[in-house]
Amino acid sequence: MTDATAPAPAAPAAGGKRRSLLEVDERTRRRNAAEARFRLYGIVAISVGLLFLLLLLGSILFNGLSAFQQTFVQVPVYLDPERLDPEGNRDPEEMRGVTTFGYKPLLNEAVYEKVQSLGIETPLPEPAMAPLLSDGAATTVRSFVLENPDRLGETVEFDLLASSRVDGYFKGRVTRDSIARDRFIDAAHLDLADAMNEAGTMGKQFNLSFITGTDASDNRPEQAGMGVSMIGSFFMMLVVLILALPIGVAASIYLEEFAPQNRITDFIEVNISNLAAVPSIVFGILGLAVFIQFMHLPQSAPLVGGLVLTLMTLPTIIISTRASLKAVPPSIRDAALGVGASKMQSVFHHVLPLAMPGILTGTIIGLAQALGETAPLLLIGMVGFIASNYPDGVAAGFLDPNSAMPAQIYEWAKRADPAFYERAWGGIIVLLAFLMTMNIIAIILRRRFERRW
Amino acid sequence: MYDAPTAAEQALQQHDIKISSRNVQVYYGDTHAIKDVDVDIEDKTVTAFIGPSGCGKSTFLRCLNRMNDTIDVARVEGEILLDGENIYDKKVDPVQLRARVGMVFQKPNPFPKSIYDNVAYGPRIHGMAKNRADLDEIVERALRRAALWDEVKDRMSAPGTGLSGGQQQRLCIARAVATEPEVLLMDEPASALDPIATSQIEELIDELRRNYAVVIVTHSMQQAARVSQKTAFFHLGNLVEYDDTSKIFTNPEDPRTESYITGRIG
Ligand SMILES: Nc1ncnc2c1ncn2[C@@H]1O[C@H](COP(=O)(O)OP(=O)(O)O)[C@@H](O)[C@H]1O
Ligand SMILES: [Mg+2]
Repeated sequence: MTDATAPAPAAPAAGGKRRSLLEVDERTRRRNAAEARFRLYGIVAISVGLLFLLLLLGSILFNGLSAFQQTFVQVPVYLDPERLDPEGNRDPEEMRGVTTFGYKPLLNEAVYEKVQSLGIETPLPEPAMAPLLSDGAATTVRSFVLENPDRLGETVEFDLLASSRVDGYFKGRVTRDSIARDRFIDAAHLDLADAMNEAGTMGKQFNLSFITGTDASDNRPEQAGMGVSMIGSFFMMLVVLILALPIGVAASIYLEEFAPQNRITDFIEVNISNLAAVPSIVFGILGLAVFIQFMHLPQSAPLVGGLVLTLMTLPTIIISTRASLKAVPPSIRDAALGVGASKMQSVFHHVLPLAMPGILTGTIIGLAQALGETAPLLLIGMVGFIASNYPDGVAAGFLDPNSAMPAQIYEWAKRADPAFYERAWGGIIVLLAFLMTMNIIAIILRRRFERRW
Repeated sequence: MYDAPTAAEQALQQHDIKISSRNVQVYYGDTHAIKDVDVDIEDKTVTAFIGPSGCGKSTFLRCLNRMNDTIDVARVEGEILLDGENIYDKKVDPVQLRARVGMVFQKPNPFPKSIYDNVAYGPRIHGMAKNRADLDEIVERALRRAALWDEVKDRMSAPGTGLSGGQQQRLCIARAVATEPEVLLMDEPASALDPIATSQIEELIDELRRNYAVVIVTHSMQQAARVSQKTAFFHLGNLVEYDDTSKIFTNPEDPRTESYITGRIG
């Protein structure tokens, strides 16, 4: 356009001399400058994007990686039969009578003795060893005893969780200043911890139970793990996959290949696009009203969470499935119909296989979206506090209360103790690892099935 | 090149009527695309539809195997008789019809599958082969008819989409032939091909005439003259003139036909 309307060169070929190709004229120079500028803008935009991505990843890793490490104390514990099995029957039922409170003095003794035997000087008396250990340490020892009653009377080496204050000290979160007014712990404890660390009886280790463990109560952040919420998320994804994929694909095939083009299908189409844009919390309140209050399904159950997420994922799956059906050239359908295939044969033998990579990609992206979704889960109470460990947790399945990974992260981020903050970041790393795996699977599937026509 | 038939040849060319259309109208929504077309298409004959672009050749061709059913807005009125039976009768299943009236499209459109599967697809869905050996035979016969066998017999499992354009189009012809149709419809089958591939296809069409009634849409008048015995000239949705090809090209009756073949319209 601009070329056409620009003033013509002063004189037509007859009069003026021909311009040399070796010198660039004014217009070309300006055009080239504009192009160079545009490229620069593009590079700047991409750099800014990359910078933010790096910042995000950096801060996630920086804040979260420490959650995968935990401070443990290695101590030999004398399992005193007189205190742990007062009746002397070695009957686990009776031994349950001794609660974790009964075990705590034992542990304090054990730690104190260890400290003495290492020749560490400390002003702290024996009962003051308690703040070094997690509340969960007593539980660990008690479970061991209840499972192995015959080992009473022996001295057993344990790896016990250190308290979150001590753990935080080794991770740099807790300092001598920050505990100045802490009523649980004081500087002498930290000195002792340093000495024990030097002596090799206390230190950070990889903490598998952050990945496999259960949530823990407010005052034992050191014990909290993602495991149960992972199972909750897994069950929900199963529900979403089983429901959303067939419903979504069937609906798309019908709309794209069979439905007549009329007002009703137009209306449905517009509404599916609208549904994709509905805020997820709306699906949450819908799920609350329909599945829980009306259908009386249990609260906090992965089944309900899965149903809500199915509603949310369906539009995504339908839209991407329809897009990939549309991308199959009509000539393929003509070819099939031309040799006498029925509509359904042409769809199932030719169109669907060609659309499959797109459908799978869309489904996995929909699932990934659902996996990271938090808001609707809060409304249907998918933030169950589950501290019981797996075999029970797995058997609980679809109908028993559970949590989900993002909801668990939200729960942790909400809690007061800064030790949970680290957990939340760590949880995000786990969640991102899942999402990335799913995306990689999507890419591989697309590569594998991709065919040209 | 077209040779004028001798009187004796002409006597031999008295063929049965395979398809006859009566008062066919086609509407796309409010557009009246085909107006009142009556035509008798002979068996074992190549019939060419010519005319300026947009005059309704493809539309009418697609009526003959009810491919227009797949277009929501298209509406067909009138009667089209295949061997005396109205294909637009309510009792007719278009799927059955299309097995008897095969179609080859303008752009070669092989399935993204092996050469073998391309040809075997029709026979498979119509249950024409009892076993694998049967199917192999059908596939070979179809490929031979489409003059493609020698070129592909060693790579039957290679993808059909990997062939050259002309080979792809012959593969599509083989695919159409494999279901043993009685009529072959071809919509500008050579318009996307180079001259050598085009002449191969034209030779092939001449061969196919022995077994089928062939209807070919073409925008090239030379092609119509070369391959067809009968020619129908369409203009603005009307069938203007339908006669022996020699007559149309040497001595057309309608002035519109004459101006088209002499290049004044189109
Ligand atoms: N799917 C369709 N929907 C609406 N109008 C169509 C469609 N296909 C063809 N037409 C119209 O019908 C007329 C005839 O088209 P067509 O049969 O394709 O012509 P030709 O093959 O002779 O070039 C044209 O005016 C075209 O615009
Ligand atoms: Mg056409």
